[in-house]
Amino acid sequence: MLTSLVIGVFQGATYGLLAVGLVLVYKGTRVFNFMQGEFGTVAAYATWGLVANAHVPYGFAVLAGLACAVLLGLVVERLVIRPLLDSPKITLLVATVGAALLTISLTTLFGKSEGRVLAPALGSKNFFILGAGVATQQLLLVAVLAGLAVALAYFFSRTDLGLAVLATSQDAFATRVVGISVPAMSRFIWGFAALLGGIAGILQAPIGVFGPGFMTGLFIVPAFTAAVLGGMTSLPGAFLGGELVGVAQSLGIYYLERFHIPGTADLTVFALLLAVLLVRPQGLLGKEA
Amino acid sequence: MAAAAEALQRVEFRPSRSGWIARAAVMAAIALAIIAAPLLADDVRDQWIGYAAVYMVIGLSVNVITGHAGQISLGHQAFVGIGAFTSAYLVARSGISFFIALPVAGLTGAFMALVLGLVALRIRGLYLALVTLAFGQMTETTIFSIRGFTGGGAGADAPRPSLFAGHQAFAYLCLMVVAVFLLVDWRFVKSKAGRAIVSIRNDERVAASLGINVTAYKLFAFVLGGFIAGVGGSLFAHWNRSVATGSFGLSTALVWVLMTVVGGLGSRAGVLIGSAFFAVFQLVVGALAKGASFHWPIVGDVLVQTLSPLLGALLLLLTLTLFPGGIGQQLLPVRRWLAGGPVSTRGHHRAGAAATAAPGSEPGATAKPPHAAAGVPVPAARDEAPAEPAPTAGEPAVRVRRPRGGGRT
Repeated sequence: MLTSLVIGVFQGATYGLLAVGLVLVYKGTRVFNFMQGEFGTVAAYATWGLVANAHVPYGFAVLAGLACAVLLGLVVERLVIRPLLDSPKITLLVATVGAALLTISLTTLFGKSEGRVLAPALGSKNFFILGAGVATQQLLLVAVLAGLAVALAYFFSRTDLGLAVLATSQDAFATRVVGISVPAMSRFIWGFAALLGGIAGILQAPIGVFGPGFMTGLFIVPAFTAAVLGGMTSLPGAFLGGELVGVAQSLGIYYLERFHIPGTADLTVFALLLAVLLVRPQGLLGKEA
Repeated sequence: MAAAAEALQRVEFRPSRSGWIARAAVMAAIALAIIAAPLLADDVRDQWIGYAAVYMVIGLSVNVITGHAGQISLGHQAFVGIGAFTSAYLVARSGISFFIALPVAGLTGAFMALVLGLVALRIRGLYLALVTLAFGQMTETTIFSIRGFTGGGAGADAPRPSLFAGHQAFAYLCLMVVAVFLLVDWRFVKSKAGRAIVSIRNDERVAASLGINVTAYKLFAFVLGGFIAGVGGSLFAHWNRSVATGSFGLSTALVWVLMTVVGGLGSRAGVLIGSAFFAVFQLVVGALAKGASFHWPIVGDVLVQTLSPLLGALLLLLTLTLFPGGIGQQLLPVRRWLAGGPVSTRGHHRAGAAATAAPGSEPGATAKPPHAAAGVPVPAARDEAPAEPAPTAGEPAVRVRRPRGGGRT
């Protein structure tokens, strides 16, 4: 059981990382961004392509991968989100789903549909924590998540840019009145969210094998559940939610597996999502539903 | 006032006798073309027609939930899949007749939708879309992975009834089911429940204030959509003669949503054309490709098969940003004419002209303003907005403009 807890914490780090990007976009532009996972997939593919095919040093490849993700974020913001800003939110949701589908097809086109292996960033040693095998990559993932949590907290409470983003999310009109460009903020938010998604993808890809759409297929629903659990507008809530979803999922697998129920991971996440939305729709740390 | 007078004038338009004959001839030609198509086509093309009809049924079911009721369903594979596996199980393992299994598959789809609706319909908008997505994925990995029910990875047999074993006969069967559900959808939209559901889509709070039981009617739309999806699933299984869990992944469900959006939410003809296009396009690309690939400079070898989802997603994004009404909106002038209206609608520039002239003119200028306000789940062009008392049945010209323009802004 402790073993499942540890697995859950490490699994939850990826959910948390994705959820932060989801929350950022939701706070800034009130969009449910189903593209978030694909930023990660694209970054992972770009990094893999450079490392495995072009033999670029790992660090440069990672930077290039992140640049690809940010570029994709900006393109999506300009071509899909901006033209639809005045339409109903549900239209924007469908649009991000379409963009995700398009990206999945493009990665299939470029990367083929077979599974790919990206080398871990810090060697492939394994540790055992309370009986759970943990790869160095996973330790790195949790460390990056913790570092990002602190950095983001500082960014949104102490820097002008961070405060401007928050202001835009609260009242776009008033923000414009005091001289902050709302489109620039929207660009920044999408680029930044894509960067976070890219980090998540590059860190997650070496854990196992990855293929087209892997971040969307495996992680987007738990990540959304994490964001909703955290309150959808709360960045600390997203970190916390990610960890909670990871742990809950891991425990769900642990307890339900003995009844020979298939698909326990998805079942737990669905039950958790439903429970949160029905019982506490404002989430743990959210201020509004 | 001027607009109302203008509208009245248009109601008075009556085609001449030769006009009626021309309209009847065109309608007869369309009907004849659809009826004759499976007869004229060879075996492979008959398979395509059958598949297109299966997709049409699924498209109509998405249309009930998303088009009429305005609830996005990203987990449609749950409803279609349960119908497919139930039907396959009943026919292949229990030896029950296909003609009993077909409605039973619909009932299981309806039951699935009922269960989801009972727990989830209190949740609204974006969050409901999220719940349906999680539900679809959950169903895929739990229920569809029960080996005894679905045959695991290998899949389950789904034999066709002997009378409809051939591709041609099966295509006719599927087309008949499409015709039945077209009729159901048409009558449903005209019914009290249909009007209530459309009013809920337009504004839930206003509908509730008018005494409409919002949750009950949303649930009803869900159940009806689930039933149609279940029947579609049954046809899907028996069209393929076998069914496997792999057919009901997330991307399939998303394709079903996007074919309906591209077709035009709420527009029956548009949805049918969109669905048929996506179904046949997949098969045509598959047939052309046969695993073949061609070489591109940077990309390298490209599997031709991968181009079909690419085009689908592109079409969706283009539809959303440039033509939010989808194919249905582009068909509006044709539909108006067939229903006995004039081809052109003078003095209709602000709303109608933008819709009809969209493809040729610059998209940014004409298509955007009126559509952006209405958006997709509340589609701009509702040629059958039945919530409004219409002076003459079958005269859409008056009703075309109302939901799009003034009423909402």
